[in-house]
Amino acid sequence: MEKEKTYNRKKIFIFSLATITVLILLIARLFYVMIIEHDYYTKLATELHERERAIKALRGEIIDRNNIPLATNITVCTVSVIHNQITDEEQTASMLSSELGISYEDVLKKVKKKSSIERIKTNVEKTIGDRIREYGYSGVKVDEDYKRYYPYDELASKVIGFTGSDNQGIVGLEVYYDEYLTGKSGNILTVTDAKGIELEGYRENREEPIAGNTLKISIDYNIQRYCEQAAYKVMTEKNAKNVIIIVMNPVNGEIYAMVNTPEYNLNQPFELTSEYLSEMQSETTSESETIDQNKTDETAETMTKQDMLNQMWRCMAINDTYEPGSTFKMITAAGALEDGVVSITDTFTCGGYATVEDRRIRCHKTTGHGTETFTETVMNSCNPAFIEWGRRLGTDRFYEYFKIFGLMEKTGIDLPGEASGIMHKKENIGAVELATISFGQSFQITPMQLLGAAASIVNGGHKIIPHFGIDILNEDGKVIQNLNYTTDKQTISKETSDTMKEILWQVVENGGGNKAYIEGYEIGGKTATSQKLPRGSGKYIASFVGFVPYNDPKVMAMCIINEPQGVYYGGTIAAPVIQNVFDNILPYLGMEKNNNS
Amino acid sequence: MELRKKRRTTQVSKSEEKDTAPVKRREITKYFDYSLVVIVIFLIGFGLVMLYSTSSYNALSEHNDSCYFLKRQATFSVLGLFVMFVVSFIPYQVWRRPSAIFFIISLITVFLVLTPLGISSHNARRWIGHGSIRIQPAEIVKVATILLVASLICKFGRRIKYIKSILFIGIIGFIGAVPLYIVTDNLSSCIIVFGITVIMTFVAYPKYWPYILGVSAVAAVVIIYLYHLFTTYDINQIDDTVPFRIRRMLIWKNPESSSDNYGYQTLQALYAIGSGGFFGKGLGNSIQKLGFIPEAQNDMIFSIICEELGLFGAICVILLFIMMIWRFMIIANNAPDLFGAMIVVGVMSHVAIQVILNIAVVTNTIPNTGISLPFISYGGSSVVFLLIEIGLVLNVSRQISFEK
Repeated sequence: MEKEKTYNRKKIFIFSLATITVLILLIARLFYVMIIEHDYYTKLATELHERERAIKALRGEIIDRNNIPLATNITVCTVSVIHNQITDEEQTASMLSSELGISYEDVLKKVKKKSSIERIKTNVEKTIGDRIREYGYSGVKVDEDYKRYYPYDELASKVIGFTGSDNQGIVGLEVYYDEYLTGKSGNILTVTDAKGIELEGYRENREEPIAGNTLKISIDYNIQRYCEQAAYKVMTEKNAKNVIIIVMNPVNGEIYAMVNTPEYNLNQPFELTSEYLSEMQSETTSESETIDQNKTDETAETMTKQDMLNQMWRCMAINDTYEPGSTFKMITAAGALEDGVVSITDTFTCGGYATVEDRRIRCHKTTGHGTETFTETVMNSCNPAFIEWGRRLGTDRFYEYFKIFGLMEKTGIDLPGEASGIMHKKENIGAVELATISFGQSFQITPMQLLGAAASIVNGGHKIIPHFGIDILNEDGKVIQNLNYTTDKQTISKETSDTMKEILWQVVENGGGNKAYIEGYEIGGKTATSQKLPRGSGKYIASFVGFVPYNDPKVMAMCIINEPQGVYYGGTIAAPVIQNVFDNILPYLGMEKNNNS
Repeated sequence: MELRKKRRTTQVSKSEEKDTAPVKRREITKYFDYSLVVIVIFLIGFGLVMLYSTSSYNALSEHNDSCYFLKRQATFSVLGLFVMFVVSFIPYQVWRRPSAIFFIISLITVFLVLTPLGISSHNARRWIGHGSIRIQPAEIVKVATILLVASLICKFGRRIKYIKSILFIGIIGFIGAVPLYIVTDNLSSCIIVFGITVIMTFVAYPKYWPYILGVSAVAAVVIIYLYHLFTTYDINQIDDTVPFRIRRMLIWKNPESSSDNYGYQTLQALYAIGSGGFFGKGLGNSIQKLGFIPEAQNDMIFSIICEELGLFGAICVILLFIMMIWRFMIIANNAPDLFGAMIVVGVMSHVAIQVILNIAVVTNTIPNTGISLPFISYGGSSVVFLLIEIGLVLNVSRQISFEK
């Protein structure tokens, strides 16, 4: 048997020593990585392990002037299953399928899925969520969450607007006052495994969310509700495209109601209402006919739907402009009186038309009004007379009054996307343009601009900023901020305003606005019937602006009926709407009928 | 110091043994290396604890049983300990004759991987067997190579001093190693088998110069090659166009350049090790094992030991291996004959190479290559065949005799 030699032992020793040396060097390497670079790697590892999970802040409510919540939050549940913790798959699946109304097969598939957590259904009502929790099945998770909820569905939809899934305002007051309403979301820093599942037993870094503040708006639920019914009624009766009713306090600009029919359901803002649905269908069919039976591809269809939705969400009263027509004569008259180019005793003889340069502009009464006083020209809404008053005012002064009444700028209302008017350039205004402007044609403004201007004419000449927001309240309902929408600008003198009120009262008492008359209330107002462009299309806009009581206006209201069928005169169809609204809301506002008159 | 003393005493005892014939044989006591047994059992026990800590998350998510890997590894460990016990009673001399046949059989098992018996897992075809019972032929080759090389060294006897004898044995080692790379694409095992052969011949060959020359030459080639790689490739631009092995070299230089894909595993291991600190996060508290390090229970288990037990725990583990190497050295130096000594050297080099390479890989000291940590990493074949090797060593130790 061969024996081991001395050099063998020496070499074994050398190899052992070499091995041990290398291992000690590796310990040195470990020391370097684990101690010297400890902070560096710990930081990187922590960044990898920690996840930030946002905690939604409760969004502030929107309440009406009597504290009725118009936008609030409800608790909804998300039901999920954790596969590993489920004891009886079939039983769990059948319970969830019956409670949530999803097919048993679908639920079972999710229950059997070997994922860490599987979401079964979101936006489950709290009562159902509670019931599922009461079963006490292990592995079934019910998480609560908040969801924006609008208790009155379509009420003031165009004003209030809605929020997106991330609690962010998308349109309307929800977006305008977003910074007050959103609050500040908190977050939790949690340690997770590689799949992102949170680990228990690690200290969480928690930052509590701050709930949003409550917004109190000037809308009055009851007035809004009544006006909405009135608007729908006239829209249906006249088969109109849409109807706008605005009720406002002419002194401070607080808006009590703003209806733009058709409204939409705020709780389902992405579902087209029946009006738009039928319109879209008719449009796609006509489209496919014109494009030579080409199949409308899906993108085109979704585009149309998005366009339709945008259209549906539009608040016409401030987002769209129109030719105001005869209601604008209030401004012409006020300007002419203020400048003293006419006096109340001035007369005008109407022959049924006026000739301006080479154009003959006709009066709506083709036989002519004959000789009439200034007041009567307003009562009769006589176009040739107003061409004369406008001519006396002159381009420069007229332009100046556009500025003074805020028709060249936005009203500053607290809603997003306000349109500004479309007006001639000053140097382009010739005699014909001046003539048409005088009775409210050839330029466009928003209904809100007109109402704002009209308010200052009857409130003593104070410029107002129409608005909804009144106060910002904290969680406990305490006012923390008053929203200020005042301006000290003056439009016309008090004397002119008084004269205008008197004249406009006469319009309702004895003139074209007599359909707005209510026994016992002293109502002033002005009607308008404007033909839509292109002229001769047979499409009209009927409108009426009214205020009450005429000598100290407390309430001002406007009704615009877009494209009514049949009779289209503002005095005939729009004035009665405001009469009806006044008749019902004035007693509600505490304004009793004056039986003396 | 201790070593010298012991050596002297054994030498004395042997010289006396010669003089005083068979009568005194009965008075000498048999030796058994209980220290080695304790170290091995401790390593296996510690390994199972760490394996459970490391694998329970993966076991739960993949097999729905947090003890899945633990159960399998415990079963194989018990089986291995039993086999170790049996082998420790079989005189190691019996393995000398059939060692060539074992070697050929082991090579056949490697090629069996190509037959339907072969099993693929993790994109590599490295196992044979059926269903859940599978063996990694590489482990068989390691044992067979140790036995064959040891018996060849004995067969050459005095002729071992000729360089051609060493070259011959080297070629045998090469024959054992290369199929592992070519057939099973397992470069690590290939390196280990060849490394074992080289170290065994180093011990057997009287001179040093061929090895000094060889190591220098390899070092020079590696340095030049790496220099070439790092000048031709942009280490910040590692993508699919770069060949796999070269990619690993580039990642080694700069793991953070591709932290999301190729450098991911290396970097994750560094995160685990680096976040350990002196005493670690505590047993069971690793976060990196929760899916961040893929299959942490395999080759990367040492990084989890570092994360949970800190530098302290890591040094303890390394010390256990140093003690084991030390015991191997004492047994080898006192072995009754050259064959026994060479078997122990073979086992020692096997363990040493794997421990060093594994720790070097997880600390990104060398480029990444899949090498398991002996007795601790998950792997049935590995633990069983390592314990067979320990059984051989224990039998060598059993035949050491002292005079009373």
